[in-house]
Amino acid sequence: MWSSVFSTLFTMRFLQAIIRLATPIVFAALGAFTAASTGIGNIAIESIMTFSALAGVLGSYLFNNAWLGVICGLAIGILTALLITFFSMKLGADAFLIMIALNTFADSVAIFILYQLTGDKGTTASLATPILYTLDIPIIKDIPILGEILSGQYILTYICWLLVIIMFIVIYKTPLGMRMRACGLNADAAKTAGINVERLQVLSLVLSGVFAALGGVYLSLNYLKIFSKGMVSGQGWMGVAANGISNGNYWTLILSGVIFAVFRAVSIIFSSNSAFPTDLVGAIPYFSVFVILTAASIINYYRIKRGKIEEH
Amino acid sequence: MTENKFSKLSKNYKLSISNPKFFDAVKMFISILIALAITFVILCLVSSDPVNAIITILTGPLTKTRYIGAVIESFIPYAFAGLAAGVLFSAGAFNLGAEGIYILSGAVVTAIAINPVSTSPVLHPVLCFLGAMAFGGIMMILPSFLKAKFGTNEMVVSLMLNSIYAGIAAYVVRTFLGTLKRGGNSSKDYLATARIGYLYEPLRISACFIVLIAVTIILYLVMKKSRLGYQIRLAGTNPRFAEYSGISAFKLAISTAAIAGVLSGMGAATALLTQTSFYTPSQSLVGIGFSGMLLSMLGRNNPIGIIIAAFMIKYLEQGTAILYFVDKSVPSEIVAVVEGIVIMLISSQHFLRKFREKQLLKEGLEEHVE
Repeated sequence: MWSSVFSTLFTMRFLQAIIRLATPIVFAALGAFTAASTGIGNIAIESIMTFSALAGVLGSYLFNNAWLGVICGLAIGILTALLITFFSMKLGADAFLIMIALNTFADSVAIFILYQLTGDKGTTASLATPILYTLDIPIIKDIPILGEILSGQYILTYICWLLVIIMFIVIYKTPLGMRMRACGLNADAAKTAGINVERLQVLSLVLSGVFAALGGVYLSLNYLKIFSKGMVSGQGWMGVAANGISNGNYWTLILSGVIFAVFRAVSIIFSSNSAFPTDLVGAIPYFSVFVILTAASIINYYRIKRGKIEEH
Repeated sequence: MTENKFSKLSKNYKLSISNPKFFDAVKMFISILIALAITFVILCLVSSDPVNAIITILTGPLTKTRYIGAVIESFIPYAFAGLAAGVLFSAGAFNLGAEGIYILSGAVVTAIAINPVSTSPVLHPVLCFLGAMAFGGIMMILPSFLKAKFGTNEMVVSLMLNSIYAGIAAYVVRTFLGTLKRGGNSSKDYLATARIGYLYEPLRISACFIVLIAVTIILYLVMKKSRLGYQIRLAGTNPRFAEYSGISAFKLAISTAAIAGVLSGMGAATALLTQTSFYTPSQSLVGIGFSGMLLSMLGRNNPIGIIIAAFMIKYLEQGTAILYFVDKSVPSEIVAVVEGIVIMLISSQHFLRKFREKQLLKEGLEEHVE
């Protein structure tokens, strides 16, 4: 039973799968990181992904155009982010509580809307939805091994990696990014230096909502091609975990997102082999997040203790 | 002297906006009204007879004792989840692990309930309870321990553990406690001695109800009157001050998590031993732990508030279930909308603040004139 697993590992299809599976997690990680850069812990990523995934499918069905579906998903992502800022900044609610509440009833609200529009409580399988396509990249396509892996992926995957690079430049190389990080490091000092902290925090939360929304529409319009109940299944939280591991380091963030995707791919390979208990195999990705996050914090703890790095 | 005391007392219970407790109640009331108004708007959009629909939701459960009995029976496990979340939230701990603890201690309850460990119909359920409580208490500590010791993000850890525990519970039940009946996903039937009967059949009041009331009162006293409760609340409102006044944050994190775990284990036992006769990990207890967090926010971390909130939410759910019989256009998920709106409004500190400030100013002026 192990040999069949090993024969699937390290193949072309496995690497392709990792890239496919990494996309939503990296989107979620980008979302968590952007919000955290100004000092806001956005833990509503999971619910924003759920809402946007549904909005994406419904928009695509309604306008009969997948790209308009993406725009609907983005709009819902931004609206949810604005809702959080409205309650936490204008009405003085604890942002954490608002986000926990959002996460907890996201599924119910999504099912309610789904049921109203399709009469089905589980999926949008009954809706004929135009979906986004895969993209062949002209020159890379013809390179023997690399071409097979890099070309022919979903279009949002390419957008995702483009955004990874763009966000790196924005956060680390532009004045805007510097200001955002200043807010995250010390909001009072930033305020004294004349930075409009609140406005930047709203901006970063909205950007975070955009990334989470892209992750959501990727799941429903590219990867699974439908919306189904519980489809986000912790991928938003993996992004939040990646942000926790990164400790403010951008490339660690992206790397941990990819590592989580590797474990998801491994879990899928194991679950296709009936010799392994499906219940336990399904928990592999979550277990990997648990182990890596815990290990990272323990290492960090001892580094602080030995005085190698300063505590935030 | 006595007059002075009396005036002080009457000031505490003054029905005026200047009394923060009264203001809280007013805020809660207005939040519920707004939520119901929004629900009505939604019903107008989806239902052909919205007026009847909202009346059914609000009064439906009162029409038959059977309905109110169903509310009483089903709200108990949710109330326990709410109490567990309330203890954690009061301490400022964002350990969201109750969901996983419910599902995992469900397996423990099942393991004890399907084996003839005792022939006594009293001792057997008690053993189920104790097993689930001990197990839940220990397992709940893990995320809080990691947070207190190493600063690990407890929210992410506890959520990941929820999924891991769900996988383990499903595996254990399928492999060791299972039966081929019911699709192979459920456990064997519980022994008759393990199940908890009703004390008052029509309203479905069982010993679990009495346990819940007792636990709530004890928890209320612990949280409001005892030293531990004061420390927990202090750590929740001002962790730095708590640390400087010599409260060990580590010990407090462990003890609150243990209390929450014990409460979750109890909740799992009440749900399984009264409502079902077997355990299906993918269905039986799913969602209770998460609902508990919302209930705790609705009840503002106050044990008595939490059980009232649990009763109200289950009442509304029963109302929508009754409505669903006659009008298939309104699924029970609409309760989540009501819940969400109320939670967001009551946790908003500035909601109605302007109104309150105006009232305070007016009262101040009146007193001045007098």
